[in-house]
Amino acid sequence: MATAEVIPLTLPPLPEGWNAEKDFKILGTLSNATQRNIEPVGPHFLAHARRKRHRRTFSEDER
Amino acid sequence: MSEGPAVNAAEWFAIGISFGNSNSSIAYTGPDGKAEVIANEEGDRQIPSILSYVDGEEFHGTQAKLQLIRNPRDTVAYFRDYLGKDYTSIDPTPCHQSAHPQQSDSAVAFSIHDANDEGPSSITVSEITTRHLRRLKQSASDFLGKAVNAAVITVPTNSSAAQRGALISSAKRAGIEVLQLVHEPVAELMAYDARPETVVVDKLVVVADLGGTRSDASVIASRGGMYTILATAHDYELGGANLDQIIIDHFAKEFMKKHQIDPRENERGLAKLKLEGEATKKALSLGTNATLNIESLTNGIDFSSTINRTRYELLAGKVFSQFTNLIEQAVKKAGLDVLDINEVCGLSQAVHCYTRKTHESQVILSGGSSHTPKLASRLQSIFPVTTKILAPSTFPTALNPSDLAARGAAIQASLIQEFDKEDIEQSIHPMVTVTPHLSNAIGVRLLSPSVLGESSPDFQPLIDVETALPARRVTQYRVSNTGGDVLVRVCEGVREIKTIKPIPKPKEDTNGGETDADSELESDEEEEEIRQIVWNESRPIAEIALKDVKSGSKVEVVVNINSDLGLQVTARAIGSRGGVRFAVDAPNVTSDGSI
Ligand SMILES: Nc1ncnc2c1ncn2[C@@H]1O[C@H](COP(=O)(O)OP(=O)(O)OP(=O)(O)O)[C@@H](O)[C@H]1O
Ligand SMILES: [Mg+2]
Repeated sequence: MATAEVIPLTLPPLPEGWNAEKDFKILGTLSNATQRNIEPVGPHFLAHARRKRHRRTFSEDER
Repeated sequence: MSEGPAVNAAEWFAIGISFGNSNSSIAYTGPDGKAEVIANEEGDRQIPSILSYVDGEEFHGTQAKLQLIRNPRDTVAYFRDYLGKDYTSIDPTPCHQSAHPQQSDSAVAFSIHDANDEGPSSITVSEITTRHLRRLKQSASDFLGKAVNAAVITVPTNSSAAQRGALISSAKRAGIEVLQLVHEPVAELMAYDARPETVVVDKLVVVADLGGTRSDASVIASRGGMYTILATAHDYELGGANLDQIIIDHFAKEFMKKHQIDPRENERGLAKLKLEGEATKKALSLGTNATLNIESLTNGIDFSSTINRTRYELLAGKVFSQFTNLIEQAVKKAGLDVLDINEVCGLSQAVHCYTRKTHESQVILSGGSSHTPKLASRLQSIFPVTTKILAPSTFPTALNPSDLAARGAAIQASLIQEFDKEDIEQSIHPMVTVTPHLSNAIGVRLLSPSVLGESSPDFQPLIDVETALPARRVTQYRVSNTGGDVLVRVCEGVREIKTIKPIPKPKEDTNGGETDADSELESDEEEEEIRQIVWNESRPIAEIALKDVKSGSKVEVVVNINSDLGLQVTARAIGSRGGVRFAVDAPNVTSDGSI
């Protein structure tokens, strides 16, 4: 899924007085994940299995 | 899987097989990548899973099904769900009008005359399955002109390890190496997704497999082309046989009115009614009326009569409700609402609810009973209007619901047949398949257009809940006409179902709480509430400022989430250099060890 999805909606303006050193603020971490079984079928799964078994990332996989 | 075919990979020539209690299908995916269901020598693509023995000769498929009238005791039918099961745990009901299941050690067997000049022999369900699969293999080999030696076979989502093992062994004895067993609803979804026009989008799919003796419904999250089953529901007493019964009873009553004899009390009469009634039912899926013709139904009396679709649908109303209930039950078990099986409506305040084009939802109707038009139209009325109901009567380019499972299996077979068996087994191991999935959607805050011309901030998902990790998504957003500094606020969000109550009308006399539960009409006396999905921010993750963005340009946000829930975000105005890039650490491992 490397192609961008275009959402025709507008980002809000930066609030008055917003300030951060490198223009970003980290506010929290993600919630815990759920362990689930993905179905071992289809071309996308095979790519996932290949990455997982060879411990590769998406970008390495694209090369 | 490894980089290429392993050195000593066996030479597999593999097909896809769907093996149902009622029917089986075989399919093949050629080098052109197209999956085709293969007709057997009789021209059938839905091959009845039935074997019959007459004077030592084996009949299979439709020929065997016809023997249910003349020769029911030496005809074995509806046996799939007995394979790998303990005799004490089976339901023998579907076999009332064919060879009865018997106990053999702890397994199931049938006592049949399968050879000439001999008494009956006890044939185990494993052996029956082997014979059935051998016939399917032969038909496929004859059609393809090359000996088939391997297959991907579909199984119900809830089949046990013992059932799977027994199927693999039975296939092996038939000369078929099972490369992989795949879940029926997943194969059925894959049959649709493998079409060339399909684009990979994140979607929620309900697969309703409405068969002959059982029906199963599943809710599947499809994320980046990978499938996760969220919930399933099963009904072992619901299928096309219940609809056949409606037809049988209708015609039997008509016959009784004329002749004062109940044809259902005569074994052969009932078998004829069942066979011909099923054909009449199928004809009603296409035409508005259908005729039943039976020679010598009972006591030598011929019978001919017609039924129209409206009448049939009225009689079958309750059975149709059982099918739709099963599907609604699966949606509920997944913790979802029918509204979730819809294009994702992101913006609550928006009057024109914006739907993400790349996100869609489908209800796939599979299995023979899914040809029934009324079932598809009932579902269309339960789910939001925008939900695609993929059935012949509601979706012009729907695939044949009877073909889906075999097609999906054939697609998988073509994907893996070049690999080593060991390689395949490693890839389907839980080490590879058990994966962390997002428990909340991740999105950004956006301005929602409002009728009043004012804008209010709102959450819009960017990565859906239940996405398998690692995951990466790229999204572009608009910048206001004035341009300037914009905020990208990344957060988790949860969806809520908001009910808007209509203004109550003054009630007229109520009939003391009595309801006509049997009413066939689905008239909803209650005032219609409007229910809709609303997204709310539930947990802020980060904020990014993008300064001096040109008016009318776009901002691209790339989110990458690792398996440990660490997150990298990049935001930049398209066309500009640089942008903001940062990483959010993985959360601490909790005490129970889950991440
Ligand atoms: N055109 C049609 N219209 C209505 N019903 C049909 C049509 N074609 C097939 N059926 C019904 O579909 C049922 C068989 O469905 P299917 O082949 O999917 O079953 P199966 O999965 O093999 O069986 P089971 O549910 O017993 O395991 C039968 O009841 C048959 O009458
Ligand atoms: Mg089935």
